[in-house]
Amino acid sequence: MKEIALDVAVEPPKEFESLFLPLPKEYVEDVYRKDEFLILVGPQHPGSGHMRLIVRVRGDVIQEVIPDPGYVHRAIEKLAENRLYVQNIPLVERPAIMDSANLNLGYVRAIEEAMDIEVPERAKYLRTILAELCRIGTHLYDAAILAVFLGHTTGFMYPFGIRELICESLVKMTGARFTSSFIIPGGVRRDVEKATLDWVYWATFAIEKRLKSFERIFIRNPTVIARLKDVGVLSKREAIEFGVVGPFLRASGVEYDVRKVEPYEAYDRVDWEIVVADEGDSYSRFLVRVNEVAQSLRIIRQCIAEIPEGRVISDQICEDNDIRGEFLDRLADLVLPSGEYTTLTEAARGSVVYTIVSDGESNVPYRFRIVTPGWLYLRGFMESLRGERLADLQAIYGSFGYFPPEADR
Amino acid sequence: MNMLEFAMQVFRANMMDIPLINPIVEELMSVPWLNLVVALILWRPFFAVVVMPGLVVIMLYLLYIIWFERKLTARIQWRVGPLEVFRPLRGAIQALADGLRYFFQESIVHREAHRPYFVQLPILAFIPVLLPIALIPAGNVVGIKTPYAIPLFIALLSLIPITIIAIGWASNSRFAFIGSVREALMYVAYEIPFIIAAISMIYLYGSADPYVAVEKQTIPGALLNPVACLVFLISMLMATSRLPFEIPEADQEIAFGPFVEYSGMLFGLVMVLAYEKLYLMSLLFTILFLAGWSGPQLAVLGDINAPLWLVVKTLIVISILSIVRSMYARYRIDQALRFGFSWILAFSIIALAIGVVLGYEGGI
Repeated sequence: MKEIALDVAVEPPKEFESLFLPLPKEYVEDVYRKDEFLILVGPQHPGSGHMRLIVRVRGDVIQEVIPDPGYVHRAIEKLAENRLYVQNIPLVERPAIMDSANLNLGYVRAIEEAMDIEVPERAKYLRTILAELCRIGTHLYDAAILAVFLGHTTGFMYPFGIRELICESLVKMTGARFTSSFIIPGGVRRDVEKATLDWVYWATFAIEKRLKSFERIFIRNPTVIARLKDVGVLSKREAIEFGVVGPFLRASGVEYDVRKVEPYEAYDRVDWEIVVADEGDSYSRFLVRVNEVAQSLRIIRQCIAEIPEGRVISDQICEDNDIRGEFLDRLADLVLPSGEYTTLTEAARGSVVYTIVSDGESNVPYRFRIVTPGWLYLRGFMESLRGERLADLQAIYGSFGYFPPEADR
Repeated sequence: MNMLEFAMQVFRANMMDIPLINPIVEELMSVPWLNLVVALILWRPFFAVVVMPGLVVIMLYLLYIIWFERKLTARIQWRVGPLEVFRPLRGAIQALADGLRYFFQESIVHREAHRPYFVQLPILAFIPVLLPIALIPAGNVVGIKTPYAIPLFIALLSLIPITIIAIGWASNSRFAFIGSVREALMYVAYEIPFIIAAISMIYLYGSADPYVAVEKQTIPGALLNPVACLVFLISMLMATSRLPFEIPEADQEIAFGPFVEYSGMLFGLVMVLAYEKLYLMSLLFTILFLAGWSGPQLAVLGDINAPLWLVVKTLIVISILSIVRSMYARYRIDQALRFGFSWILAFSIIALAIGVVLGYEGGI
């Protein structure tokens, strides 16, 4: 077919001049010359979260998506440079509060690595339980957001209802619904009673039972499968090239989990499997996380059944087994030896990297670096949108569980 | 005076006969001037259009359905739902409270909008909502009595999407534009199967007259032609943009589509459009498939028996339909179109074949 080109003068809408697009003027003109147009999704859009997506569409098909993140940037790295090492613990939990234990754990492990602290066994098991509880909570939260993006309000309410059990478990164990700052250098803040652990053990069965009704109404719902299947596909090669992490990498067929590759805490002592899928589409990204919840429940049950007796805080930090009352005396003047310490932790949405650079004489970090999974898989998220329909934007967004506060830090 | 007497004569000649309230009516008819008002309200065409199953019932229905739908969804989702507004009835007048709020809220008309159309269209949209009511008979309570009532009803009903598309155009916003285009595409996808399903029932009864249709339903039409019933129900869901076909106003994708720019009273008006359309289509569904206004008659209620049965059956249909809201996710537009043009269209043609066979030689 012969293509006929008419040189029509094109003028992009005036409003683009005042919207602070992170794009050159020529790009906008080019879009409108090619009979395409730009849709700004967010930051005040019911389906965007705290970020702006600049979507270039041709008809209904997405050509390119340019992310404009940073609306919830909180300068956590800079703030951390002016606080004591222990004061940073509540700070590093804040990027994703429902995933606080995992983020907390990564930071504390960097300090322990620097100071060569040996963590007692019982504390390791307690940390694992907390980390897995937070992982389930985050996966349920993301499933709920995915459901509401698809217009399925029941799928939104059920996971939040189930998540109450997670919050209740955390309250009983630590005293706070999510940001508990319970994991401290050398162990955990205090011991958890057996009765509480038993409560959590039985709560895992309650969660499993309720997840079955969620599966009936949402996971196996034909409309949900129709919306998610074969949408936003990332092949194995693409997923690796774009640096996708966590469950989204495993959904593309890459068997990689930090908990297996470099086991920390009690992960090498319990029996569990890496969940992988081959398709790499939105549905498998969702299913991988659903199955990870089952694995996490399994880990929690094993941990509670096998938890050893003993100290919960290292004797290098505190001779007593209880740090209450002398917390700041023991930990406020932590000074890390000079050097650079990096840890890799598997948070719910993927690997989180912590780097602490210490000058060896001050009691605050010289430089602090945190790279959250959201930031790492943003590229893969944007690439998987290419060629899909505009209505799929929210389905793919939800399937990645992208959480702007976590990515912006 | 002559004019008034003439009007009185017209009204009295065709008045509702309800034995239950007859003494009160007799009393009021002896009061000058007031008797004219009473006679007008009880005048059958007026009663049909304005009271039952017309405007007044539509308003009550809106209060009921919004409350019932929210309450039902809440029960399914382990919640309580509306409760605090009028606790004795479990929050039953929540919709009224919301309506009042809309009424006193500022209606913002943004600069880019086509101002006259933007303000007019929500009100103009009531024309295709109220006109079909005049054609729907309920026993001997009828606005306009015509043997072509069903085709006319469908024709007037199909004006509603046009007003919605016009609303999207007048809003002059990207999301409203996408919503309007989606509405137009969906319109084409459901309207053809919907009309074919209705025609199959007209064939089956051998007439487009609702009276004939109701008279012939000794067995309900839903059992005579279940395929047509199914097609009709699904196209009802598509036409009133309910989940899983809530595509034109998908709030997570395009933020209520054509209605994105509306606020205040105007939003209140456009928001209930889909509910009103659902009511109208359910009225037609009741007449075609559920034997319309026929049912056990109570002598004290007299003429009001028929409209009451019609409205009750309609409300039951709508209440059952409102459960889909909490069961399904939203389809994509291309999936919905494929569904409409393949499965639904095919089923509607099967329904037409059943209708033609059963209704051979002048209907059953």
